Amino acid sequence: MSLGLVYDEDYLLHEHTPTHPERKERLQYTMDQLEEEGLLADPDVSIVEPSMATDEQLSRVHTQEYLERLRSMSASGTGMLSVDTHVSAHTWNTAKLAAGGVATAMDVVATGTHDSSFVMARPGGHHAFANDAHGFCYLNNTAVGITHLQAEYDVDRVLLWDWDAHHGDGTQSIFYDDPSVLVMSTHQDGMTLFPGTGDARDVGEGDGEGYNVNVPLPPKTSDEGYRTVVEEVFEPIAEQYDPDFVFIEAGQDNHFTDPITDLGVTAQGYVSLMEHAVDAADRLADGRLVASLAGGYGIEGGLPYTNLAVIATLLGLDTDAIREPAVYEPPSYEPDVSDVIDRVKRVQSDYWSI
Amino acid sequence: MLPGRATTKAWPTNGDAVIIGIDTGGTNVDAALIDADGVVSTAKVPNAETGERIEAVLTDLLSSHDVDAVDRVVVATTLVVNAAVQHRLPPCSNVLVPGTGLAPDRAFFGEENLVAAGGIDPRGRVTEAVDIDDRPSEPVTAITAKFSARNPDLERTLRETFDGGPTALGSESGAGLTFPERAATTVANAKAKPLFDEYEADVEAAVAATGIEAPIYYLKGDGAMLAAESMANTPAHTLRGGSAASALGLIALTGESDAVTVDVGGTTTDVTRVVASYPAVERAIPEGDVEPAYDGVVSRSLPYGGDTHVVVEDGAPRLSAERVGNAVAFGGAEPTLTDALHVLGLFTDGDRDGAATAIESIGTGAPEDVSQAILAAYVDRVADAIADLAVDETETLVVGGVLAPYLGDRLGKAVSVPDVVVPEYAEVAGAVGCGVARVSVETAVHVDSARGVMTVTSIGPEDVEAVEQGRRYTNDQAKSIAVERAREAATRAGGDPDAPAEVRSFDRFSVVERTEVAGQIFDAVARIEPGIEYSFAGGR
Repeated sequence: MSLGLVYDEDYLLHEHTPTHPERKERLQYTMDQLEEEGLLADPDVSIVEPSMATDEQLSRVHTQEYLERLRSMSASGTGMLSVDTHVSAHTWNTAKLAAGGVATAMDVVATGTHDSSFVMARPGGHHAFANDAHGFCYLNNTAVGITHLQAEYDVDRVLLWDWDAHHGDGTQSIFYDDPSVLVMSTHQDGMTLFPGTGDARDVGEGDGEGYNVNVPLPPKTSDEGYRTVVEEVFEPIAEQYDPDFVFIEAGQDNHFTDPITDLGVTAQGYVSLMEHAVDAADRLADGRLVASLAGGYGIEGGLPYTNLAVIATLLGLDTDAIREPAVYEPPSYEPDVSDVIDRVKRVQSDYWSI
Repeated sequence: MLPGRATTKAWPTNGDAVIIGIDTGGTNVDAALIDADGVVSTAKVPNAETGERIEAVLTDLLSSHDVDAVDRVVVATTLVVNAAVQHRLPPCSNVLVPGTGLAPDRAFFGEENLVAAGGIDPRGRVTEAVDIDDRPSEPVTAITAKFSARNPDLERTLRETFDGGPTALGSESGAGLTFPERAATTVANAKAKPLFDEYEADVEAAVAATGIEAPIYYLKGDGAMLAAESMANTPAHTLRGGSAASALGLIALTGESDAVTVDVGGTTTDVTRVVASYPAVERAIPEGDVEPAYDGVVSRSLPYGGDTHVVVEDGAPRLSAERVGNAVAFGGAEPTLTDALHVLGLFTDGDRDGAATAIESIGTGAPEDVSQAILAAYVDRVADAIADLAVDETETLVVGGVLAPYLGDRLGKAVSVPDVVVPEYAEVAGAVGCGVARVSVETAVHVDSARGVMTVTSIGPEDVEAVEQGRRYTNDQAKSIAVERAREAATRAGGDPDAPAEVRSFDRFSVVERTEVAGQIFDAVARIEPGIEYSFAGGR
């Protein structure tokens, strides 16, 4: 199994404030772990240099007015899209490199250069809309990558599973009327977490009706709850949608050490999530899968292990010993997710046999 | 004196100082006495890497020179590599502390592999205590923990727990290695330790017996040298040292900056490439039973040389890839490549009639024809290796070894390289190469000022020191700390603290704890630039 790991040191240039949860150390401890494990020198792993997103790629997703606003704000060296989403001199180019990184990952998998690809980029993108952004995001990396994939290759249907703890409101809005991208989001219930959206009743509109699946999970949901969701919602809908390509918005902030969310997934839980994603890609999409880092703010206790978990799973390596160090205690409480699953099934049964 | 720290004489060499280079190969022990202006004298004694032969060559070399003027003795040895390819190194218990992460079998490089509990995180904190029930059962032991470059404690605890035979630690094996690479390298060092320790003691005694009081160094595979005590910590660094010596010597003797070099020995022929006045270097140098991740010169080491035995196969003469002794021309019993050169009148030293009789005894045709066939077979093989390493721009071939004057032009013609250079002292190129080497030790500095800890990894025991908690560094401050530490490491390894240094990689970021910046982490790797101390192009 060969993996293209999209990474560039320029992903470290963008900064909010020195103590902001979305800071460059998010990538550095993970890269340390991958380096020490020998994965960066592994013959099955290639570091793929991202291209910067082009104007054409960006304009498939974003309005010219918004792109110009973001560019000029960054050129001025300072600004804010929202109270926690800062713009600095490096923001514009780093965001374009992150969006371009997803497009590059699509290229290496679509052309068969690599079996799969993981994009180790920041800033994230799923809270970026066509004409605005918030939630530490600027450009919708995923939407830029998927629209690039569909424009350049013979790919009709893309299954997008956004497993970030936060609902991907920007991504949902961009593809809300588009049946060629099935957006499935598992996230901590919006009543308890930013951005507050992601209700199970939001199913898409127009031609896209029935191609948006939201699974809002109660706080503390951990490995067992996620497994149930995957088996009862994700897998049957994926099977019926029969995608040509699988994309994972890999938010690592479901981890129990994450300081800004309240879920209970472990590193082994992430192995299991990615195993299901790989299995779906293998069965339905000739194995074509790209994953991109989204959130994840447990810089020391979570990210090195969750990122290793998903990357090692993509590579088909032995993942049994991937876990958090014993100083971090995994949760013992598992909330009941059956009510949520029943609600999702009721809503989605208008569109899918579920 | 701290362990792993050599005492050395003052640096740099004074005007009268001389350096002795000793190249011990399979056929001869070569020595050269050099100073800043060139080669002063040379000596060559046959065979065997023993203290006795070292003493003999030193006595010969110094017969008309003052031992007090000797500044240093630099040795290249093929002892470890020969034992590795002939499967004579001892089996090793490879003890791993893999912590959390990928399965430890990626680091299984021992004949026995034991996995201990325990863990260190990327910040160097012990997150799980070390524990193991098993005990190593092999004669030598390697101990490697994940992230031991950030904290050597777990490895040291295990060493004390075992209290056994020769043991190598990952944290003492050098900078810039990943966990699997460090394990492979540490196993190689553990396996090489008994052999090297014995040899080093012999060399030390031989040098002392000749009255020389200068420090002894060994050549690394990347062409830099290390004080004997540092090499004793990491004897796998001797791999490719012989090839490096040849390349450095041929560069120093010719001043060529871009070339392919060929050193024709008695047992082997070493082909290397020179780029920008230094041998091209590659990472990881597997040889026989060991696979250390150290740097080594890019080299094709062919098992053919002047003493290569000629055998008959399917009615035709063939090179046998083994040495059974000297050429008949020099008192041996079996026909060799050197004897064939005699028959062709290319080489005239020694017993010419004996050589002719030996070649005739092969019995596959007229001695001249047989000799031409033998020579052609040798040239073909070397030409393949040259072609393998040459690049489009290669216009120069530098040839060393006793037979260089007789083979150089033929090799050049075979690979269509127009410019063939056989320098004066070509026959002791490796020994000259030892004499012109410089100390260079890669040194990694990891500072975590939120924890208040600095670790410095080079060769030998890792330094763990306190730094001011919460301290912030500018890039320049951080880099200068790394350079300073690289100079200290080089000085400990016997090097020149004033030689040019370089920062090879650098990364710095803030540590945030409870929404406050609690300090910084920086990682820097620096070293004294490897290089050639003297160039003797044009002679004395």
